[in-house]
Amino acid sequence: MVTKGRLKMALAHEKGVDFQKLHQKKVAKLAAKKKQPKTKTGGAKDDSDSEGEEWEDAEKEIKGGAPVDDDEDDSEDDDDEQVDVAAYLDDSASSDSEVEMEEKIERVRQPKMTALQKEQNKLQKKQNKKKAAPVEEEEDDSEEDPEEDIALEDLEDLDDEDKEDLMPHQRLTINNTTALEAALKRISIATEKSVPFKSHMSLAGAEPTSNNIPDVMDDLKRELAFYGQALEHVKQARSLLRAENVPFSRPKDYFAEMVKDDGQMEKVKARLVEEASAKKASAEARKLRDLKKFGKQVQVNKLQERQKAKKETLDKIKTLKRKRAENSGDLGTHEADLFDVGVEEELKDSKKRGGDRGGDQRNNKRMKKDQKYGFGGKKRHSKSGDAISSGDLSGFSQKGMKQGTKGKPPKTARLGKSRRNAGKR
Amino acid sequence: MGGAYKSLNGSEKADPVSDNGARKQKSRVLVVPSRGITYRHRHLINDLAAMLPHGKRDVKFDSKSKLYELCELAEMSNCNNLMYWEARKGQDLYLWMSRIPNGPTIKFYCQNLQTMEELHFVGNCLKGSRPILSFDAAFDKQPHLKVIKQMFLQTFGVPEGARKSKPFIDHVMTFSIADGKIWIRNYQINETEAKAQIGEDGEAEKTSSKSRTTTKDTDINLVEIGPRLTLSPVVIQEGSFGGPIIYENKQFVSPNQVRADLRRQQAGKHNARSEQFVERMAKKGDLGLRTHGGKKMPTDALDSRELFA
Repeated sequence: MVTKGRLKMALAHEKGVDFQKLHQKKVAKLAAKKKQPKTKTGGAKDDSDSEGEEWEDAEKEIKGGAPVDDDEDDSEDDDDEQVDVAAYLDDSASSDSEVEMEEKIERVRQPKMTALQKEQNKLQKKQNKKKAAPVEEEEDDSEEDPEEDIALEDLEDLDDEDKEDLMPHQRLTINNTTALEAALKRISIATEKSVPFKSHMSLAGAEPTSNNIPDVMDDLKRELAFYGQALEHVKQARSLLRAENVPFSRPKDYFAEMVKDDGQMEKVKARLVEEASAKKASAEARKLRDLKKFGKQVQVNKLQERQKAKKETLDKIKTLKRKRAENSGDLGTHEADLFDVGVEEELKDSKKRGGDRGGDQRNNKRMKKDQKYGFGGKKRHSKSGDAISSGDLSGFSQKGMKQGTKGKPPKTARLGKSRRNAGKR
Repeated sequence: MGGAYKSLNGSEKADPVSDNGARKQKSRVLVVPSRGITYRHRHLINDLAAMLPHGKRDVKFDSKSKLYELCELAEMSNCNNLMYWEARKGQDLYLWMSRIPNGPTIKFYCQNLQTMEELHFVGNCLKGSRPILSFDAAFDKQPHLKVIKQMFLQTFGVPEGARKSKPFIDHVMTFSIADGKIWIRNYQINETEAKAQIGEDGEAEKTSSKSRTTTKDTDINLVEIGPRLTLSPVVIQEGSFGGPIIYENKQFVSPNQVRADLRRQQAGKHNARSEQFVERMAKKGDLGLRTHGGKKMPTDALDSRELFA
């Protein structure tokens, strides 16, 4: 029985044969009911259908498995069966989440609108325009002149050759306010203050969030605005939910499956750690670099200090020597000589090392290099002899001349010529 | 565990009519992707589906033209809301949201998709806890936005007492309008002890102790969970995958057109350059500066070639 009902329904849906018949019946019924006030969605439909087609809608409410009135036609029966099917399916899936489906609205085309209906449409359109003028776009206002008979949505339905005469480059905005309102009325669930908040859990802001977004491309400000909206609503929602005794915060010992599984959270954590460690490493590297830069300065300072200290000691020695010279009369000459030798030598040494070009500031390394490669002055003829070098007799000694060669004496003396020759033979 | 909690709390009621007399909302959502979605689209859909305990994920729908079949599909699986994710050209994602038997149907173009996994946010929430839905005030300004809001409310809002839903509230879904698009964000509600209680000043402690006695409230901050998504409404149909179009967004430019414009612009650069070249050659020819073609200059009598010819 159930499957038959489904099949029937599907067939009806595929072919649309049944609905024609149903429609005629319904028209008759509607004529009978005409005096009753039924303006639920009529206005919207009248507006939406344009070139003589009208959607017939009959809104019915079904309650679970309640018995249906006798005067309903067999479409009603079909729907009843559909509900049965739903219930059946639902039982098989889950008894908890039973869904109440809306009754399907049949939409049938009517050949022509009567003149009276057209008049009504016009009137309604004007009213709608007045109502929706502030929210509708400018195009709508310009298009929907009272003289114009064709509504915006009608233009979309025109044939292509008719459309060519109109402005083809401009896309027309469709904003059928009445139809939208009707659709909203049909689907909306109550979110007023009288309804308990826990039934819908939705909150609307008091002020558009876009006011807080100066530039949409600015990620930080944009996200901050969204965050602000959410935070404000969460605070409101919490107080509302507490007032209704709905458990809000999760107790610490309540564990259940989360949206992101542990693996994912582990990844997130690893990423966080990695980011933190990278930051730390880079900071350390920067510190080292700074230290290196600073270290050079420290080294220079140290050298200067050392040289300064040396200078000071030398000065001290000088003064000491002067004092000695002054006091030499008192002391024994022999003693003074002994002291003087040490000090004098020290001074001489320091003078030599201090460099020919006065000033102790010269670098040791530099000096060595200068010595090795030369610095300043002409380099040529440096090895050729001159008056000084030929006058320099430091290399000569009588003793050395008497000894013969400078080096070691030969261990075995050379034999005479005759003996040498005899040995050869 | 949830069931045990419920039975202990006694929050489960046998009748669907709540204490206020309002009917309890019962709805189910069918989540269907089309064929040809990319892995990112798939991950995004999975992320969103994970947050809908009243949702049913179906296999990829293998038809791009016969969308009315989706209605039957939803009816068969006992769902009164439908989310159909349509991928086009393997790159553009469109979202169709529909109420099942009678409509309306809203078509969105999805941009700025970022899945939960690639965002690396630290936020997390219970799978199937009911979200607080936070709507921008702009949603109540225009009729088409009102309709969109209702659709979001019924699709993303988890109905009270849904089968797999958890009893606590730990995340909030934000719908904001900026730049003519709807931006969707998802945050975890993180409750921390109020800072004033750890105040080092005696005064602060005094005030905190007062507040503790009166409200005993914790500070709330939010941590984003993901995914991120931007929707631009394209069209609203009155029926479900049928019926007249009752709203069309004029500002929406199809991504195909954007790409075509870009290509044309790039091609235009070359065209302009070659045109310029031709023009320049013509100009040179007119001035008699070209050896071949163009106008020849009249020979001057004092030209050396004439004089010594």
